[in-house]
Amino acid sequence: MLYALMGLGLSLIAGILNIPNFAHGALFAVGAYFLVSVVGALGNFWLGLLLAPIGVALLGLLIEYAGIRRLYAAGHDYQLLFTFGLALILGEVIILVWGPVGISHLPPAILRGGVDLGFTFYPKYRLFVMVMAGLLVLATWLFLEKTRYGAIMRAGIENKEMVSLLGIDIHWLFTVAFAVGAGLAGIAGALTAPIRGLSPQMGVDMLGIAFVVVALGGLGNLLGAIAAGLLIGIAQAVVAGYWTEASTVVIFAVMAAVLLVRPQGLFGIR
Amino acid sequence: MKKETWILVGAVIVLPLLVRPAIAAEIWIFAMFGLGLNLLLGYTGMLSFGQSTFFGSAAYVAGWLLKNYGINVFFALGIGVGVGALSAALVGYLCVQRSGLYFIMLTFALNQLFFFTAYQWTSVTGGEDGMPGIPRPALWGLDFSNPMLFYGFVSILFLISLWAMKRIVESPLGKILVAIRENEVRAEAVGYNVPRFKLAAFVIGGAFSGLAGVLYAMLFGIVPLEAIGFVTSGNVVFATLIGGSGSLYGPVIGSVVFIWLSESMSTVWARWPLLLGVAFVIVVLFFRGGVVEAWSRFWTWRSSRQRA
Amino acid sequence: MALLETKSLSKSFGALTAVNGVSLAFQAGTLHSIIGPNGAGKTTLFNLLTGTFAPTSGKIIFEQEEITGTPAHGVAHLGLARSYQRTTVFPAFSLLDNVWVSSFATNKSWQGLAWRKTDRFPEVTERARQALTDVGLIDKQHHLAREISHGEQRQLELAIALAAAPRVLLLDEPAAGLSPDETRKMVALVRTLKGRYTIVLIEHKMDIIMSVSDRISVMHFGSLIAEGTPEEIQRNPEVRRAYLGGVAA
Repeated sequence: MLYALMGLGLSLIAGILNIPNFAHGALFAVGAYFLVSVVGALGNFWLGLLLAPIGVALLGLLIEYAGIRRLYAAGHDYQLLFTFGLALILGEVIILVWGPVGISHLPPAILRGGVDLGFTFYPKYRLFVMVMAGLLVLATWLFLEKTRYGAIMRAGIENKEMVSLLGIDIHWLFTVAFAVGAGLAGIAGALTAPIRGLSPQMGVDMLGIAFVVVALGGLGNLLGAIAAGLLIGIAQAVVAGYWTEASTVVIFAVMAAVLLVRPQGLFGIR
Repeated sequence: MKKETWILVGAVIVLPLLVRPAIAAEIWIFAMFGLGLNLLLGYTGMLSFGQSTFFGSAAYVAGWLLKNYGINVFFALGIGVGVGALSAALVGYLCVQRSGLYFIMLTFALNQLFFFTAYQWTSVTGGEDGMPGIPRPALWGLDFSNPMLFYGFVSILFLISLWAMKRIVESPLGKILVAIRENEVRAEAVGYNVPRFKLAAFVIGGAFSGLAGVLYAMLFGIVPLEAIGFVTSGNVVFATLIGGSGSLYGPVIGSVVFIWLSESMSTVWARWPLLLGVAFVIVVLFFRGGVVEAWSRFWTWRSSRQRA
Repeated sequence: MALLETKSLSKSFGALTAVNGVSLAFQAGTLHSIIGPNGAGKTTLFNLLTGTFAPTSGKIIFEQEEITGTPAHGVAHLGLARSYQRTTVFPAFSLLDNVWVSSFATNKSWQGLAWRKTDRFPEVTERARQALTDVGLIDKQHHLAREISHGEQRQLELAIALAAAPRVLLLDEPAAGLSPDETRKMVALVRTLKGRYTIVLIEHKMDIIMSVSDRISVMHFGSLIAEGTPEEIQRNPEVRRAYLGGVAA
């Protein structure tokens, strides 16, 4: 589910801005760390869950406005490199602010403990995350499919020139898309924090997986990103049951295998 | 071209007098790595963000053989080049079918595949701790534990690989790759099997990366996990861009600047990657042509001022 | 026997049939034009001939051998070269290099591909220079392609095709976007190529077509509706209907 969220955000950014956002993983990490700080400062998990992604989205806005926008003329390669540099910077800033050692963060009291599912005990928090992430994915999808703004975004993925000819400010579209994508990464990060704890590496680890999701789902294909994200999440969970160490590697191996057979990804049209 | 040769030979001779021989060796090793990347990036127009796959794989395989089987230096170098080329063939085969964003993401994702494999396969690679204990076997009685001798060896290999790359880019293959960059459709129409040529560029680039990887392993005596990680992939791109991807010597200049800077900064501040990231961003925002272009722009500006 | 033939060549893109059962025969040494209103399928036909698209059905026969399905990068080696309607050259290359890569591709051997310096291929360079001379651009051989005028780029466009030393030249609207003066020069150029090559020409400017063609085929909505000498075509009522019925020549 989380993978679907990450994939969705990245696919959105990739589809509209046409760059693979190398900072996506870092934004994910920042979301997690923001949550920790907010909870630390205000003591309320739910507030943290609300504020962290907003913070990341704002950061995304800033990034797009101050950096990526300036590089339109230079071409996509440079915008990409910019996000890469940003990933480095954010990674180091995290260490500077929150320390190089991993932090663990407990879920709020009501979500601790397990739920008896009959055949196994499943951690309450993970269940919550699944539901929450699922709702977010649904909400995002509804936004994109049913609202006017969402339609503008989807149109932007298909045909940017058309959209700007229709009188919509293409730059604003880019900025919002980036901010939304960042926000999605942020909330994914915030939700993850209590599951496996935080570390400065979490960004990079997640980045690779997010890329796999987008590569399989098709760039800009939002539904594809969701489906691929789910698929990968399930695949990883299944493999982890049998051969824990290989679970992450398997994700990439599966991607390689799929792309061998279908270079456009599972659902890609381009 | 003769003038450049003399400058380079001069640089090779002078460098170890300015910095420690180990750093000087690292510079030329990284330059070889950059040359490999630039064949893809500067000449063919493919931004490969996963070059550390070939660099790291070669380092691990050759390092392992050096450590456990005591192979000789030439064999190790051959293994490095071979592993680099082979891994590049595998990765390239998957990647050249795509272009643009997909291509970049694929190179990165496949890099992560290798990275996580190395991370998990601790029995062989040592995982996070890396693979230590890599020897520098002697060659013809030359004891390479002497840093200057090893430096001499590395720099000769560097000059040879630079010459090799020069021959390649001045050959029809070099022109064809640039043609592919300039107009892929026409290049195909004119009679070139574009994916196959892209793959060839990949393999050649991989071979250079592999050579660099082996030497790296021998230089530091250890293969750290980062050697196959995403930061290394990014670093070589950065170094190449600083120098300027538009010329053969760009990656060389970029490596000098990059390694020297990162080595100096790392002793001063543990958080130096932050400065690296900032430098990266600044170069991307303002100095896109890299040193080479800035230099030629400077000369053009100067000569126009003299005329005025 | 015809040098190049198509037999019931068709291409459909989903529900749209761009080329419908076209059978053509191009005789060696002739200049055979293909005309028709916009959207008639002419460029798609060229794309089929050069392997850019695979046909949905039908055959392409060259020098009595079937070449249907040859991929785009193989066609040049067979002896068919094409120039494009929208100029598509190698901008960062000099004019000489532009034609050089084309000349090298169809060179007898690729020995020394990755090793020999490019100035050590005399036959390739000579063929490249000759192509530039044929189109009248030899004096600008060291200029960069992106620096020359549009008209000169159209000439370069042709030169790239010539450098492949083909047997058949497929010219897609070589006079597109040219001023009257430049058009005159282009027509003169095409005349000099007549006889040396078998030429298949797509053009919209009727005066050019009528003055250089040995034979004309007319396409409309993907099908062949008429074929004959320029005089026959001018008198053909169906052709007049197709053209004057909506699109002026």
